[in-house]
Amino acid sequence: MCEGCYNAKCTMTRLKKNPRPKTKEDGQFRPNSRTYSKFKKIDGRHPFQNNTIDSYLPYYARKRHGGEVLVFNFALAKEMGLIPDGHPDKMTKELERSILDTFAIVIINEYDQINEISYPEEDIKPYPFMATRYLQLQHPNKQGKTSGDGRSIWNGCHMGKGKLWDISSCGTGATSLSPATHIQKKFFQTGDPTISYGCGYAEVDEGLSTLFFSEILNKNKVKTERVLGVLKFKDGYAITIRVHDNLIRPSHMFNHLKQGNYDALQAMVEYYIDRQEQNGSWQNVPKDKKKRYDFFLARQIEVFAKTAAKFEDEYIFCWLDWDGDNVLMDGGIIDYGSVRQFGLFHADYRFDDNDRFSTSITEQKNKAKYTVQTFAQIADFLKTKERKPLGEFATGQWSESYEECYVKAKLSNLLYKSGFKKETRDEILVKDSDLVMRYLKTFSYFERAKSVLGPKKVNDGITWDAIFCMRDILRELPQMLLVRGESINRTEFLEILKSSYATEEDLAMTPYRKKRIDEFQECYWELIRVAATYERLTVNKVLLNITMRSSVINKYDRVTGDSITTITDMLMEKLGSLTPDRIYKLLNDFSEYQNLDPNDDRDLDKGQLQKSKLMRGFLQVVRDYREGL
Amino acid sequence: MKLVFYSGGHEEDNLDLDDECFDLIDSPNPTFAFIPSSSYDGESEFRSFVRHYQRFGVTRFLYFPVDVPQDNVFLKEVFKSDLIHMGGGNTYYFIKYLRARGLFSFLKEFAIKGGVLSGLSAGGILMTPNINTAGYPEFDKDDNEEGVQNFKALNLVKFEFFPHYRNSIRFDRELLYQSTQTGNPIFALPDGSGIVKFEDTMKFIGRAFCFSKGTKTLICS
Repeated sequence: MCEGCYNAKCTMTRLKKNPRPKTKEDGQFRPNSRTYSKFKKIDGRHPFQNNTIDSYLPYYARKRHGGEVLVFNFALAKEMGLIPDGHPDKMTKELERSILDTFAIVIINEYDQINEISYPEEDIKPYPFMATRYLQLQHPNKQGKTSGDGRSIWNGCHMGKGKLWDISSCGTGATSLSPATHIQKKFFQTGDPTISYGCGYAEVDEGLSTLFFSEILNKNKVKTERVLGVLKFKDGYAITIRVHDNLIRPSHMFNHLKQGNYDALQAMVEYYIDRQEQNGSWQNVPKDKKKRYDFFLARQIEVFAKTAAKFEDEYIFCWLDWDGDNVLMDGGIIDYGSVRQFGLFHADYRFDDNDRFSTSITEQKNKAKYTVQTFAQIADFLKTKERKPLGEFATGQWSESYEECYVKAKLSNLLYKSGFKKETRDEILVKDSDLVMRYLKTFSYFERAKSVLGPKKVNDGITWDAIFCMRDILRELPQMLLVRGESINRTEFLEILKSSYATEEDLAMTPYRKKRIDEFQECYWELIRVAATYERLTVNKVLLNITMRSSVINKYDRVTGDSITTITDMLMEKLGSLTPDRIYKLLNDFSEYQNLDPNDDRDLDKGQLQKSKLMRGFLQVVRDYREGL
Repeated sequence: MKLVFYSGGHEEDNLDLDDECFDLIDSPNPTFAFIPSSSYDGESEFRSFVRHYQRFGVTRFLYFPVDVPQDNVFLKEVFKSDLIHMGGGNTYYFIKYLRARGLFSFLKEFAIKGGVLSGLSAGGILMTPNINTAGYPEFDKDDNEEGVQNFKALNLVKFEFFPHYRNSIRFDRELLYQSTQTGNPIFALPDGSGIVKFEDTMKFIGRAFCFSKGTKTLICS
């Protein structure tokens, strides 16, 4: 008897269970002598050393014992070509050894030398590493003569997959470029417990939060430094290995500019341009010097206008300021200490950095513009060899270009968030920019609405709660319009839009608000109609496509700065029981879950959700904090 | 009531069942609402759901994950749909949030008032008196990581539903035993099969087996 029989007691053909075919994940992968050979070339040497002037301090380094790999970013290592593509996402003994040999280091600093502290010869690395000089506003010297990498060194670079990658590590010892050295006028011993930031070490939680935050932002096409790995030492401190295809910051140029050092500035700008060209980030770079610096300025205008718009529209709070320290030249985020992503447009949040408050998210645009103004000064200085005052560059063509590029980026971002696909966005922006501008105005009215309760203190600064969740209306409105075929009523509109911060008074249906609700839906319908024309589809089909894209882009639960902090705390509590592979798996699954790109096919492991209590905890945290800071 | 139980399998395996399902829908331009078992990858499942039913001419869809809070406007709209489909996944996770959001009464009322309620695997189990079938056999059960203790489900039918059934000794052994522990018949269906319950009639699509009081019966081949 077989399938379909009535008697369950009959004899059935018993299928023999075949063993599951082994994969590399199951242990077939065997590293050979060449598998990790590329790590050996990361030894402190870097083209920056030969191509710039007065831009770094060299430090010899020694092995730092007692370290372990807390987590290693396999995906990034493969993207860099540092490990083979077929490498399983598993830590091998040989890989751990290579990571520790390469990155578990501590510099031999001025304190060590003055006090004649000696270290075993075999522990000392053959080449010096560099702590780069750059401008920092928190330093007493405002020309960048004393500031730069205070607790980091550059490990070197790696050529892989057609790109040159910069690699630096945070927590490798106290350099003389830290603010503490110059405020207290003395050199510090690495690990000196009397001083926190100036001790040269880094914390484990810093590394983990940067790892998680940067991977999520990277998945969502936000330029950022990334974390290759975090090492943990017996004293509880960590080293965070950071990677980007060009780690130069504006502040790497601004110090030379402030000092009027033409040769050093020119060398730095040339170095940067060459790297951008070498990595394929910039094409058709002119050879003629003057044209080259105009080209440089034009690119930087574009980069910073788009970055300012992106930060604002993705609610990314990144403390941009005149020193150009918290952002990379390509607009990438660096140093996650005060970086946040808000759930709502909390326009008045300011980070309290003890002696000063940060900029707010709405001020970022002008801070970015001020950075570009400095680029305009640089370009002129390099072309004329005469350093004119920055004030002379307050207006000009660059300023108009910046504003134009910023507005275009804002309009494009809004259409993206609303769910329009690229070809349609491009066509709408060309043919219907007035309509999109009207849509942006009415969108911004709701996005920027604040609670009647006024400003309030929070753990690390001050804020004034936003009251509407634009992500909710962008997710639900197309579905409602699709199903009803007509606008929703004003009460329903506010019901969908309101956040948990909104009080009854905040939600008053004033005549002005009624007008704005009507305008919003009129613009929205009009955009759907023009999209239907351009895509040659029915209105319903466009609404359906937008429904599907918007459900991903505006997913209910998107991480915020507070949720990343809480998730890091949860990880820290469980750290003792988590292997590097397990942490990496959590990172990979969580960042994939937070990938809100509607064009990507996500590779989610649903089993992870069911089996991992920690992962489910992460998701709950994201939900709980989704409207916060 | 109009209920459709999908066991599982690929979309093309369920076309006959889909046809039966569409026969239950009165509206010429229906709205389909999709409730995933979890929002974790719900958007991808929604896309697949839309792509599949677009082939049948459906143009109006709603996506309604229940493990995240939803506003009343949207909730009401979902329950005005012509069909609500509950997706597959972890039954315990799914029922936890359906109950926590107070959606049991909405779903029952929807079914009683003539809306078509369909469910795939976990979604199908939820329409039965309880979710016991999610807890066995040991080698193929859902993990109750949520610690759900109340196994009572929507109770829209008087049978239990066992999806992804494979005609094998070890499945049968478990099902025969379980059928002695419950007063309800257990309908075990392989992927690609399904049940259509319309008022007092019940129709099996594809192969289906009934386990009741320690015996196994082939209902439909």
